[in-house]
Amino acid sequence: MDPVTLTKLAANVGAGLCIGFGAVGAAIGEGYTAAEANLAVSRNPKISGDLFKNMLVGQAVAESASIFALVIAILLLFVDSPGSGEIKAAALFGAGLSMGFGAIGSGLGSGFPGGKACVGISRQPAVSSRLTTNMLIGSAVSQTPAIFSMVVALMLIFMDFSTQPLQPTWAALIGAGLSTGMAAIGSGIGGGLAAGASCDSIARQPRTAGQVTTTMLVGQAVAQTPSIFGLLVSFILMFKSFPAATSVSASMALLSAGICMGFGGIGPGIGNGMTAEGAVRWVARNIEHAGDLMRTMLVGQAVAQSTAIYAMVISLVLIFVV
Amino acid sequence: MAIEGVDLVKAAAFLGAGLSMGLGAIGPGVGEGMVAAKACEAIGKNSKEAGLLTRTMLVGQAVSESTGIYSLVVALLLLFVV
Amino acid sequence: MGNLGQVHQLVVTLFGFNMVFNLEAIFMTWVVFGFLLLFGMLTTRKRDFVPRRFQIVGEMIVGQFYQLTEDALDRKGAEKYGPMICSLFLFMLLSNWLGIIPHLEEPTKDLNTPLALGLMGFVVAHYAGIKSKGFKAYAREYFQPMFFMMPLNVIGEMAKIVSISFRLFGNIMGGSIIILVVSHLTYSLLLPPLLNAFFGLFVGTIQAFVFTMLTVVYISVQIK
Repeated sequence: MDPVTLTKLAANVGAGLCIGFGAVGAAIGEGYTAAEANLAVSRNPKISGDLFKNMLVGQAVAESASIFALVIAILLLFVDSPGSGEIKAAALFGAGLSMGFGAIGSGLGSGFPGGKACVGISRQPAVSSRLTTNMLIGSAVSQTPAIFSMVVALMLIFMDFSTQPLQPTWAALIGAGLSTGMAAIGSGIGGGLAAGASCDSIARQPRTAGQVTTTMLVGQAVAQTPSIFGLLVSFILMFKSFPAATSVSASMALLSAGICMGFGGIGPGIGNGMTAEGAVRWVARNIEHAGDLMRTMLVGQAVAQSTAIYAMVISLVLIFVV
Repeated sequence: MAIEGVDLVKAAAFLGAGLSMGLGAIGPGVGEGMVAAKACEAIGKNSKEAGLLTRTMLVGQAVSESTGIYSLVVALLLLFVV
Repeated sequence: MGNLGQVHQLVVTLFGFNMVFNLEAIFMTWVVFGFLLLFGMLTTRKRDFVPRRFQIVGEMIVGQFYQLTEDALDRKGAEKYGPMICSLFLFMLLSNWLGIIPHLEEPTKDLNTPLALGLMGFVVAHYAGIKSKGFKAYAREYFQPMFFMMPLNVIGEMAKIVSISFRLFGNIMGGSIIILVVSHLTYSLLLPPLLNAFFGLFVGTIQAFVFTMLTVVYISVQIK
């Protein structure tokens, strides 16, 4: 198969996977928002106009992850980028994987604050502006893993790798895509869980809004750490120049490094998000011990992240030692 | 590039190591997160017992970690011994 | 768009070592310094008891961050670390916003800037921890809760620096790359100003706030 055909093949398949997977998360997230908005309107039909507006705004932010996926898919299909050959094909495929998987988590996650904010406004119309602000902040921060995936995808598309040897760089590029893409799933969902809990809590205890927002931001930030590890491994795989390999095992090692960090980021991301959710919820109910709660949350999150650290260590061993 | 028997075994070992640690990290991550979430809730309900609750949380998380450690051990075995 | 990853560098060879200066990041950082000094001067020129104009903005920002620091650390801690936290936030805020002005770009787009800020926060936090607890208690914490967790705890601390730096870097650089690519695709019609507003102003503010908050929290965790 000549390189040009292979490149086109990879670009098309990559684009399909990208928007295919990318559409999943945002759709489910926005559906959750709409479902909760219906519940909210049934509770409090008088302010249905306000609730409707809020739902649309929340859905718009959740949509941004799949819009990133759409942009990458269109770039893959129509834009002629530098480089050529089988390496190019691997890079484009990796880009599609990265953005496709990466958009799932953030899309899903951004649906939670939207929905909870709608229910909260129906419960407490007086704090609706505060709730909308909090929802926007929380959703925007949960988009960060999708932004990381997009960065990796764009780099894979536009950087010229043709000076690198084919074996094992093809595996490194696909691994780079998988690493950030899959690790972003967990962090996106986790960040969304924390944001949803904060919207819920502010509606229940409006006076604690400041402390709740702070705890939410810190909790989300730590929940995003697995996707940052994924980004780090991706950068190493993309920027390190590997010597030409004569055996298939070297390529497998790099591909496996990407798989390891990618899958390894899913669980801790979700777990950290659940921890942040619990902490945020109870900071609102027990504001005097907010400091204790934040400390417990940080310690708990640090231990829950240990498997992500193991996965990163194994990835780095696979890249550098083997 | 000829694919030989020994080489294929090594390649499979690497792939297995990655899958082992990767998939193995999912469970303990979610589980320990649930433990920490409930610990925060418990401390929110009963802040006086914060020390005892934190210790219980850490022990519970350490036990949930065990399958993660098994995955780590198998991954290291696949990398360096097989 | 081939110049996506291009950085203008100045390489100075001294005693056989290559010193690499990333020119864009350095110049833009000086621009940020200039703006901050200007802001400081305008804010404190005539200090009235009833504030007006610039002084109001200055008091609002400083007041908010002192309050935040005081919530996490107590009064004494806030007096010691408040100024650093405040200047950290203002520096990052202005750096992230700089991309809006044409022909200027954010110094935080270069990995070195966020990494430097993260390292600074890390050093301050650990220095505060050692000073307040003494070295032995500080070292003993790495062996909690179980003896063999030591390497994991150390890696965890390193991971903290990596995570806050990369988060800021990823968000800002990602935003600028997205704006560049979309502007190229849409021939700079319609979309780019909205994107600039979202990625530059909104995301930039939130990320600066998150970075500052995390630094305060890390300091408070060490002091405890």
